[in-house]
Amino acid sequence: MFGSLKKKLSKTVSKIADKIYSKGNEEEKTEGNKINKINNEKKEILNKKENELSEVAQSKTEAYTKDTGVVAKYNAQIESPSKLEEEIEKKEKIGFFDKFKLTKTIKKVLGKDVILTEDDIADILEELELELLEADVAYDVVERLVESLKNQLVGTKITAKDNPEEITINALKNAIKEILSQKNMDIYELIEEKKKSKEPVVIVFVGINGTGKTTSIAKLAHKLKNKGYSVVLAAGDTFRAGAIEQLEEHAKNIGVRVIKHQKGADSAAVIYDAIQHAKARGIDVVLADTAGRQATNINLMDEIKKVVRVTKPDLVVFVGDSLAGNDAINQAEEFNNAVNIDGVILTKVDADAKGGAALSIAYAIGKPILFLGVGQRYEDLEEFNVDWMVNKLFGDEEVKYSTEREF
Amino acid sequence: MLDKLGKNITTALNKLKNATFVDKKLVKEVIKDIQKALIQADVNVKLVLKISKEIEKRAIYEDVPKGLSKKEHIIKIVYEELIKLLGEKEQKLELDPKKQTIILLVGIQGSGKTTSAAKLARYLQKKGLKPGLIAADVYRPAAYKQLKQLAEKIHVPLYGDESKTKTPVEIAKDGINHFKKMDVIIVDTAGRHKEEKGLMEEMKEMKEALKPDEIILVIDGTLGQQAKNQAKAFKEAVGDIGSILVTKLDGSAKGGGALSAVSEINAPIKFIGTGEDVDSLEPFDPKKFISRLLGMGDL
Repeated sequence: MFGSLKKKLSKTVSKIADKIYSKGNEEEKTEGNKINKINNEKKEILNKKENELSEVAQSKTEAYTKDTGVVAKYNAQIESPSKLEEEIEKKEKIGFFDKFKLTKTIKKVLGKDVILTEDDIADILEELELELLEADVAYDVVERLVESLKNQLVGTKITAKDNPEEITINALKNAIKEILSQKNMDIYELIEEKKKSKEPVVIVFVGINGTGKTTSIAKLAHKLKNKGYSVVLAAGDTFRAGAIEQLEEHAKNIGVRVIKHQKGADSAAVIYDAIQHAKARGIDVVLADTAGRQATNINLMDEIKKVVRVTKPDLVVFVGDSLAGNDAINQAEEFNNAVNIDGVILTKVDADAKGGAALSIAYAIGKPILFLGVGQRYEDLEEFNVDWMVNKLFGDEEVKYSTEREF
Repeated sequence: MLDKLGKNITTALNKLKNATFVDKKLVKEVIKDIQKALIQADVNVKLVLKISKEIEKRAIYEDVPKGLSKKEHIIKIVYEELIKLLGEKEQKLELDPKKQTIILLVGIQGSGKTTSAAKLARYLQKKGLKPGLIAADVYRPAAYKQLKQLAEKIHVPLYGDESKTKTPVEIAKDGINHFKKMDVIIVDTAGRHKEEKGLMEEMKEMKEALKPDEIILVIDGTLGQQAKNQAKAFKEAVGDIGSILVTKLDGSAKGGGALSAVSEINAPIKFIGTGEDVDSLEPFDPKKFISRLLGMGDL
């Protein structure tokens, strides 16, 4: 993921930088034309004086021989503009072979500043807009990003000392960081802290159907167990066919316990029991599954509110599908309104998702993305934070995911 | 479902209705609004540009037919272009009553294949047919149990292999032998995506071994811009996809991704899923759907 988003962003950077250079070049050209004009004027004056001189010489041949000093003086004056011409010609020749470098040197020599106008970058930004949309960045987020980029670039004076690429990249980074402005969260720190007071950390997972809640719970349980924490699972999805059995099978594979009731039982009660179990046995973390539900289903949203009210979890984690488009924002917002989300897990990132959903969800609810689900193995859960994403987007590293299957 | 898209497009078209004079500028403005509405509904960006260019061209250069005002004509053009996207006619799942039909369900992880398998069985059962279900997903934990619970609920026989000793292809083949007397056999498969080459290959094998009469691509209604590429990969692996079933349209999803898939693989949407319940499956009618979308009633 992020590969294509990255390509798109770097394409924009080079386009804007090119624009800055060519604009500087153009200013330089007009400046060059001015010099030529002055030179021509000079030449005319000199020619006139030469003519005058020859007239004088013709009429006053005697005085001419005496007055050689004047001729020498005029000759010197004629010589100097031709030197200037030579220099300009030389520069133009270099320019033909290495326009890019020349623009820079001339700009330095002449100190030509560039100020970008809205018109200058309108086309480039429009293209970026379409490309971001294609990378599944939601419409509102795209508008905000492009707006921020425009605000940073239009009207800024770029001097010869500046590096246009750097300025553009920084503007883009700022725009993205602005969108991902929420705080990072350290889940391990939280566990350590609660451990001191001998309390389990309770994490409830919510989301619409089929985004990957149950699988993400199994992956996180595996990760926490490997870090030396004890974990118990709560089979809080008491509705969907096979949900309890699915969690049980994962638990067996990973080697953790599941607290379960019958199918159709009260979800809050199951999770409550799991918390009591964890307290009694000194278990560090409770990971609670819940049934998938559409945010438009009022009854089921009331139910999840009740679950959160009764079980008072430390974290409510929203599980979102990275393949989702603009709806990702709606889902995150609706769930956040209902139960106040603390963090997000984004799944199916290995399915060539373009990563736009990461931007969209984070922007919509202002909450951090904690992990990315990147495959079908228990290890395929990657830690995520804003700097990580910015590094991935602007760094050299390529991201490749496993396509092996474990469960 | 699709309420917001419908509202946005209607707002755009109302600009036309309320205008005293329709000029090029207004047409362009309206088309821009429609573009925005379609992109927000997750219709593929390139596809949106293509449709809107066509609408613009027709709106500006086409002669207004007799009896229609310029405004009505433009609304008609928008309607026609959207219909073109979905396929003109309602396409039903055609079953040959004289022979047994084998249906294969494929799709990305979590798109809703298993639930849809049970819904489809229920739908056919209500039509007086005898369906049988085959659980050929050996990867996802408790996939067999999930379908078993659903099958029991609707009293449809299920064939599967709980011991996980057989490959998916073996299970499906044995299941077909087992269900000789059934009218329709529905085969549920594991979720997979286009990057999982091994699984795409396995699906191809499955198709060659079973020779299904109908392959149904199950698509999540929330699917975004990736719908096009994923649908393409499925089509390349199994050849003919007969129909598309769009799920989760009871939520806030606008299902535009599914439209992109339709146009990419040239298969019609035959069903939509509108809830978790086994009865929440509806046949899909593009004309009704678009007219409802545009708030114009049945044309």
